[in-house]
Amino acid sequence: MREDIHATVEIVGPEGVPLSFPRATLAERFVAFALDLVILVSSASLVLLLFLLAGLGVGSLAVVGVGLVFMFLIRHFYFIAFETHWHGSTPGKRLMNLRVVARDGAGLGTDAVVARNLMRDLEIFVPLAIVANPEQVFGPGPWWLLAPTVIWLSVMALMPLLSRDRSRLGDLVGGTRVVRIPIAELPPDEAARSSQPRQSRRADTLAFSVAQLSFYGERELETLAELMRKADQGKATDDDLRVVAQTIADKVGFDGPLPARRPARFLRAFYKAQRAHLERELLFGKRKASKFDEG
Amino acid sequence: MSGEERRMEPRSVAFRREREGQWFELELLVDKALRGGLRSLEPAELHRLPILYRVALSSLSVARRTAMDRALLSYLEALAARAYLAVYGARRSTRGALRRTLFATFPQRVRALLPELVLATGLVALGTIVAVALMASEPGWYDAFVDPALAGGRDPHASTETLRAALYGGGEQGEGLAFFASFLFVHNAGIGLLCFSLGFAAGIPTALLLFTNGLMLGAFIQLYAERGLLFELGGWLLPHGIPEIGAVILCGAAGLHLGRAVLLPGRRTVRSALAWAGRRGSTVVLGSILLFAIAGLVEGIFRQAVTDDLVRYALAAFNLAWFVPWLALAGRSEGAS
Repeated sequence: MREDIHATVEIVGPEGVPLSFPRATLAERFVAFALDLVILVSSASLVLLLFLLAGLGVGSLAVVGVGLVFMFLIRHFYFIAFETHWHGSTPGKRLMNLRVVARDGAGLGTDAVVARNLMRDLEIFVPLAIVANPEQVFGPGPWWLLAPTVIWLSVMALMPLLSRDRSRLGDLVGGTRVVRIPIAELPPDEAARSSQPRQSRRADTLAFSVAQLSFYGERELETLAELMRKADQGKATDDDLRVVAQTIADKVGFDGPLPARRPARFLRAFYKAQRAHLERELLFGKRKASKFDEG
Repeated sequence: MSGEERRMEPRSVAFRREREGQWFELELLVDKALRGGLRSLEPAELHRLPILYRVALSSLSVARRTAMDRALLSYLEALAARAYLAVYGARRSTRGALRRTLFATFPQRVRALLPELVLATGLVALGTIVAVALMASEPGWYDAFVDPALAGGRDPHASTETLRAALYGGGEQGEGLAFFASFLFVHNAGIGLLCFSLGFAAGIPTALLLFTNGLMLGAFIQLYAERGLLFELGGWLLPHGIPEIGAVILCGAAGLHLGRAVLLPGRRTVRSALAWAGRRGSTVVLGSILLFAIAGLVEGIFRQAVTDDLVRYALAAFNLAWFVPWLALAGRSEGAS
C-alpha cells in the first residue's frame, strides 16, 4: 500500500476560497505520535513516581490517589490541551510540522479537538492493552463475544490504512484532517528580468509573431521556466540552453543567429513573449494546456 | 493589440510586482504566528494579519485564473494555506467561554440528546431490574455482575456487619478510602469515556456497557436489600450516585448518538453526521468528566466525614436540586451554539 506523498487536502475557509494543503503522510503522523507518546508516558511515569515516593514518605495512600488522578488527566488531556492551546499541534506534531484543521474550514473548535482525542484512547491505548493482556481487559468471556470485539477494534485501529483519505477514527468523529504546513517560497520571476543587456536594446530582433507564439502551451512554458531557473542556479550549461533554443527556433520558425549565439537571451525573450501571449488568451477564456492542445 | 508583433510584458509580472510587498509582509507575520501563536504578535501586527490574509486570498483567486506562472501560483497556494493556519488554526476563546460552556452549551447539548438519554437510562434501569430479579432467586449471580476488584469484600458471603461497616467506613480506613475514591473516579470516568467512543460501533458496545453498569448497580442494591440495609445503602450511594450514574448515562447517550450517526445519518453523509454527533457529544463528555470529579470528591471526602444517614440524604437531595435544574433549565434563554 504505497502512499501518495503529494496528496492534498482541500479546505474552503470562511472566505469561500478553496485552499489546498499537503496531506500529512501516515509515516509523519506516526512519528509525531510516537514522539508525543514518549513525552506522555515519561511525564506520566514521573508524576506517578513522585506521588508514590511522596505517599511513602508521608505514609499516606491518599497522596498516591492524587497521583492516580493526575495520571488520568495526563493520559486523556495531553493531546486535548496541546491541540487547543497550540493551534492544533502537539510537541510531536510541531516537530513534524503538522497541524490539525477542521474539515469544514471553520476555526478548529475545542469540541472537535476533544472528540478526535477521546477516540484516540479507543484506537490506540485499548488495543495496546488488549495485546498486552486480553484477560485483564475483557475478563473471562465467551469466544463469540470476544472475537467480534477484537475484529471490530482492529478495524478501528487500522482505520487510517483502510479509509480513502487516511483519516483515523478520531478525525472522522471530530471532523478534522491532519495537514503538513506548506513551505512558501517565491523564486525570482523569470519574465521580470530584462532579456537584453541595458546598453543595446535591439528590441526588433526579439519580437515574436502571434503565429510563432501559438505553437506551445502552458506545459512547455513551465518546462522552459524550470530550465531557466536551473540556469540561474548554474545547473544548466550554455550548451543545454543552446539545444533548447535551437529546437524552439526551428519549431516556431524563428530566423536569425541569436538562438545559437545568445541562447539565454533568446530563451528569456521567448519565455516572456510566450507567457504574455498565453495570459492574454486566458483573459479571453482560452487555455492551451500543451502543444497538443488544439483549444 | 497593435499588429502582429508581441513584445509586451506578461500581465502577471506587474500583478506580482504590485502585490509582492504585501505578500512578504504577510509571510513574516505568519512565520511569527506559526512559531509562537497569535499571542506573539504586536497589536498592530494582529490588526494587519487578517487584512493581509484577505489580500493573499484575492491574489490567489486572481492568479489561479490569470497567471501562467506555476512558481507564483504554488507560492500563493502555500502562503494562503499558511496564513489560514495562523488565522483560523484555533477558535480563539472569548471572555466567559468557560462560563458559557458550563452553563449554556453543555446543558443545551444534553437536552438535544433527549431520545438517547431516555434509551440510556432505560438500559441502565433494565440492567438494575434484571440483576435484582436474578439475585433474588440465586445470590450466586453476584459474582457475575460485580468485579471483585470493585467489590472490596462486599459480597454475599460477607456478614451483615461487614456490609454495614463498608457503608460507614471512616477513621482508620479513611486514608485507604480516599485512595479508593480516586481509583473509582479514574475507573468510572474511564468507563464514561469508553461509553462515548465505543458508540462508534453502531452504539452496541455502549448499550452493553450501560446494561452491565445497571447489572452492577442492581447487584449492590439486592445485596444490601436482602440484609435490610437498603435505607443505609441509599445514604451511601445517592450523594455521589446522582452525579456519577448521571454522568455514565450522559456519556452513554453521547455514545448512542454517535451510533445513530453511523446507522441512521439521515440526509447527511455518514462522515458529516459523525463529525456533527462527535463534536456535540464531546461537550457532553467533558461536562460528564466534571460530574465524575464531583462524584469522586463527594465519595472521597464527604462520605468519610459524614456517617449520619439523614445528612447523607440531605446531600443527595441537594445534589439532585442542582443537577436536575442545571441540565434541564440552564442556557434556555441563550441561543443554541
